[in-house]
Amino acid sequence: MNHQNHPELAEAFNKDFERTTWHDETLWFVRQKRDKAVYPIPEFQDLRTLASEIKDHTLSNLDNYLIEFEQNAIKNGVKVHWAADAAEHNQIVMDIIKSSCKVDGRNTRMVKSKSMLTEECHLNGFLQKNNIDVVDTDLGERIIQFRDEPPSHIVMPAIHLKKEDVGETFHEHLGTTKGEKDPQILTEAARQHLREKFIAADVALTGVNFAIAETGSFVVCTNEGNADLGVNLAKVHIASMGIEKIIPKLHHLSVYTRLLARSATGQPITTYTSHFTKPAEGKEMHIVIVDNGRTQQLGRADFRNSLKCIRCGACMNTCPVYRRSGGHSYDFTVPGPIGAILSPNIDLHKHKSLPFASTLCGSCSDVCPVKIDIHVQLYKWRQIVGQQNELPATKKWGMKGLAKVLSMPKVYDLGGKLARGALRVLPHGLTHNQSMNPWAKARELPDAPKQSFKEWYEENRK
Amino acid sequence: MTSREKILNSIASNKPALTTLPNVPIFEGDGSIERFKTVLEGIGGRAIEVASKADCQAAIDEYYSDLKNVASDIVKANVVVNLDTIKEVLEQVDLAVIQGEIGVAENGTIWVPEINMLNRALPFITQHLVLVLDKKNIVANMQQAYDKLENVGSYGVFIAGPSKTADIEQSLVIGAHGARSMMVLIY
Repeated sequence: MNHQNHPELAEAFNKDFERTTWHDETLWFVRQKRDKAVYPIPEFQDLRTLASEIKDHTLSNLDNYLIEFEQNAIKNGVKVHWAADAAEHNQIVMDIIKSSCKVDGRNTRMVKSKSMLTEECHLNGFLQKNNIDVVDTDLGERIIQFRDEPPSHIVMPAIHLKKEDVGETFHEHLGTTKGEKDPQILTEAARQHLREKFIAADVALTGVNFAIAETGSFVVCTNEGNADLGVNLAKVHIASMGIEKIIPKLHHLSVYTRLLARSATGQPITTYTSHFTKPAEGKEMHIVIVDNGRTQQLGRADFRNSLKCIRCGACMNTCPVYRRSGGHSYDFTVPGPIGAILSPNIDLHKHKSLPFASTLCGSCSDVCPVKIDIHVQLYKWRQIVGQQNELPATKKWGMKGLAKVLSMPKVYDLGGKLARGALRVLPHGLTHNQSMNPWAKARELPDAPKQSFKEWYEENRK
Repeated sequence: MTSREKILNSIASNKPALTTLPNVPIFEGDGSIERFKTVLEGIGGRAIEVASKADCQAAIDEYYSDLKNVASDIVKANVVVNLDTIKEVLEQVDLAVIQGEIGVAENGTIWVPEINMLNRALPFITQHLVLVLDKKNIVANMQQAYDKLENVGSYGVFIAGPSKTADIEQSLVIGAHGARSMMVLIY
């Protein structure tokens, strides 16, 4: 299969200079909103530490907490299902629909609120092949569903699009006036369109932000209210959750609800923080607990704490590489720095370029509300990519050559001297040749100094 | 082996050594009505103080006289909403006025348990939402809120302002799928 790597996809994204700049600035604006929301909370750093330690503890006792959660959920009248992988998850969802939603002579209608897990499992395509009409109800998700695109961000799925793009899409699918691009008017059109879908739905599927072992409840956070509207109008509620969504006690939510929205969008809290414990009278509630590679990541000591992620997206908004390459350049369900440390666990060969989609500046780790050492893990994945012989030849031999030179001071001195001389005399077209010197694609080399630091130091040392 | 066993066995063999669970302190903070109002306004909501719960009717008459279909167990209502109310009726509700239990000053959110909702879908399907709140029940932050909350019942939601989205170019639009406006009457 011809698979494009991150540098190739990023280069394609960067062809539209204005859009790249706009994308960069928009995400940075969200990062600044995050800062404004975080600084007024005096105990914000304490909350990050607590959030990190609660998750560390939970991972160290995850099997027992999952069992506790399951027992309590069953007591609450909820049906609990376990899926080892994506295919099993999709089949379980399908089986629930088949046995619980009897519809005659038409397709079953499902409304979905945001769930990165179902993106990971490619649920929509599977259900549609099986005569289930799936409607994503989060506005951003609906936009990209119309366009048949994957999300480019985990919190803002359509952040790669401009309002003109959305206007065009809605003109085509919802019949809004051609050229209409006012977000207020476009959102109203989506509201009217989706209200019909909510009323008509047989089954509603949501993700899970937090699952509480102590009570068997789970929490879903949205701003639009689409999760609650869908669930409370349909007969059947299916919630899909990764095994790592567990927290031990109800009051631990007090830590995460103070961190999540502030880190994600700079809001003090999401508009709706919904606690589902028991199904309403005459209705059904199902929870599908999914592994799909997570237990394997749990076994990797260097990388297991990536499972602490609460999917806020702060690492993306702050990342200089994500902001300038766009979410689609990662070609993985979760893009950005966190995606770059989750993806090699799933398929190292396919995603070998992602740990290199970083400057290792560490900004991702600084904003992470659960203190995942993202940039350290990026560095460690690079080592593994090298060990598994997955580095591109230029990088591999370049590194080997450099290691040789750096271990021989005389050769290094001579090389430096030659390079300084060459930079002065060779034509610009050669020193900045883009295929020989990709570093110079968007940058100028500095003027070559007359002497090296070593020479200067020896001359001036008194 | 079932998938359940497979997953649990895999966790048991892959999990790290047990670490301690930290204690979460009840952080102090400003739990004033003023702060609650300011934060709520910052997220697109509105808060009005009334003298007593009985005065909520006057406030509704003043601010929402143009809305036709009202569902409430607190003020005069002309749409009956209960657990059995069908979607087609719920869909027609213009205004829902229901009791909120705990207000959080730091983020403007209010706890609404299922028993206060009349119907689980009502706070979301109504075009406009008013929550009524006893000022004694405003706390500073989420630690204090969950401390006060003895249990979450079958279903309950913290609601903070009107429904909103910024999914088109990060432009904030109030009134995505849920309530187009949200007011809190504090007594």
